[in-house]
Amino acid sequence: MLRAAQRREQAPIQESKRRKVKSSFLSKFWFHLVLIVLAVLFLAPLVYILLNSFKSADEIFQVPQSILPKEWTLENYAAAISKGFIDYFRNSVVITVGGVLLTVLLSSLAGYGFAKLPFRGANFVLLTIVATLTVPLVIFLVPMYLMENEVGLLDTNLGLLLPNVAVSLPFAILIMRASFIAIPKEIEESATMDGAGVLRRWWAVMLPMARNGMVLVVIMTSYAIWGEYTIAKALTMDPAAMPLSVGLTLLKGEVWQYGILAAVIVLAMLPPIIIFIIFQKHIVAGVAQGAVKG
Amino acid sequence: MVITAVRPTLPDEPVRTRPDKVGKRRKFSSGVLFILPAFLFIFVFMLYPLVSSGYMSFTEYNFVYDDAPKFIGLDNYFAAFQDPLFTTALRNTFVYGVFFFVTVMASSLVIALLLFQKLRFNAFYRSAVFVPIVVPLSLAGLVFLWILQPNYGLLNHILGDVLNMPFLAQPWLSNADTAMASIIVLGAWASIGFVTILFLAGLQGISQDTLEAAEMDGAAGIKKVFHIILPSLRETYVLTGTWTIIHALKVFVEPMVMTDGGPGTSTLVVYQQVYLTAFTYFDMGYASAMGYILGLIILVLVVLNFFIGKIRADKDA
Repeated sequence: MLRAAQRREQAPIQESKRRKVKSSFLSKFWFHLVLIVLAVLFLAPLVYILLNSFKSADEIFQVPQSILPKEWTLENYAAAISKGFIDYFRNSVVITVGGVLLTVLLSSLAGYGFAKLPFRGANFVLLTIVATLTVPLVIFLVPMYLMENEVGLLDTNLGLLLPNVAVSLPFAILIMRASFIAIPKEIEESATMDGAGVLRRWWAVMLPMARNGMVLVVIMTSYAIWGEYTIAKALTMDPAAMPLSVGLTLLKGEVWQYGILAAVIVLAMLPPIIIFIIFQKHIVAGVAQGAVKG
Repeated sequence: MVITAVRPTLPDEPVRTRPDKVGKRRKFSSGVLFILPAFLFIFVFMLYPLVSSGYMSFTEYNFVYDDAPKFIGLDNYFAAFQDPLFTTALRNTFVYGVFFFVTVMASSLVIALLLFQKLRFNAFYRSAVFVPIVVPLSLAGLVFLWILQPNYGLLNHILGDVLNMPFLAQPWLSNADTAMASIIVLGAWASIGFVTILFLAGLQGISQDTLEAAEMDGAAGIKKVFHIILPSLRETYVLTGTWTIIHALKVFVEPMVMTDGGPGTSTLVVYQQVYLTAFTYFDMGYASAMGYILGLIILVLVVLNFFIGKIRADKDA
């Protein structure tokens, strides 16, 4: 009955929609055309590097070039694995995995503190933390360099991991704080009645409920640290200590290894793109939510 | 990454005055303890450096030659505005900033409006626009470098051989104007997806009632966009505007990877000049001063953007 009523209500709207469909057919065509052109422009660099990574050295420098490889070869990938790019990969993985774990842990502690255990001055501290988001990183670099030089952390994985965590934390704390605020207080209250201490409540009751926020923090922080360039460029001079994002740029003039470079770039871009494809909905919703609600 | 408006935390309930004072005090201290580890990180790597670098900006301190920073007042700041490299870098940063801002804001808004139509293949279009967000920027820079390479790059190949307009093909990064255009294109390519998400969120926030009421009044197509949709996005403009301003003036990776500031100094930007002064010449005091000038400019523009957005919104209300 309810459905019938709805249908009756929608009927006139559908009428008018049908009329509009004809007039909008042309505009729809144009919309699609524009979107297809845009999609090609956005994807072209990625497809181009992918195709080039399967070309032999001769084919890469061939003029006029062919967009598709004439002979698909895996020689670049084989060379990439054997040519000492492993260091860059290892550094990137260590810094990213360690940095993400620390960021998730610290931001879910702090987010819970800000959301559920207000203390005097908490808002001021939160504002201070958020304000750091607008400061250009370059201002921090000189003191960071001097400090790390003092304690011998330059050119080490730890020396990159720690500042990356610090820089990732403000945004991560905002996300975690928002997810803890969204949890109704009754749930925690019942745990309190059961005699659970605050740390246990955080770990056993609240943290599992803030899962979505944690997933978002993990994803966003991994992207940020995996692709981080500025800190790594300033705090490493030894190529053996560099992550992919900086190490590979040292090779930009070395024409002879373009094919190999293409293969390594593809391998370096693949992990974040795969994660993106899997979690796209989550990421988009999270970014929008984090940005609007804060 | 994202600029967020922070609302003060309201406790879920008025704190109950419990008879046992011990319990209350414990609640107070546990909040602090939960925040402390994260705060220590932020303090050591951001707040302390912010202050330390502020102090250093008033000193002469060459990391290689000098034993300790020597206080020289505002000299670094005066020197910066006399320094042709710095003023060039400042001008280039503004040129980049203006073009980047206009390109990113306009394209993102248009793309968001197109994606909001929910046409067929929408999921594909969205993925294509969003995917550059996750690609490491420095590596994207390497790919762009390759695309723009004059002899065997993709762009000249397409212009010359595919579109048959060889007169358009040129050495993109060897000419001041096209080099600047190239880094703007890379920056826009990498940023548009993110700003589009913010605009889409704003569009989703417009109430269905508003849209339906507009349709009842006969507003459709372009008219609806200009009279109903665009004015409803006020808050979103502040958000996207702030994000884009910050990212425009913080440009660094694009010229570092693609042009090294060249040809000559035509794409040298402030961020890069600070970096080079600090880590190539080790002139830490002077670098800090230039960094602070950049930070202050960003701060002023962000605050300005915020208030302009607010004043407009108030006028409408």
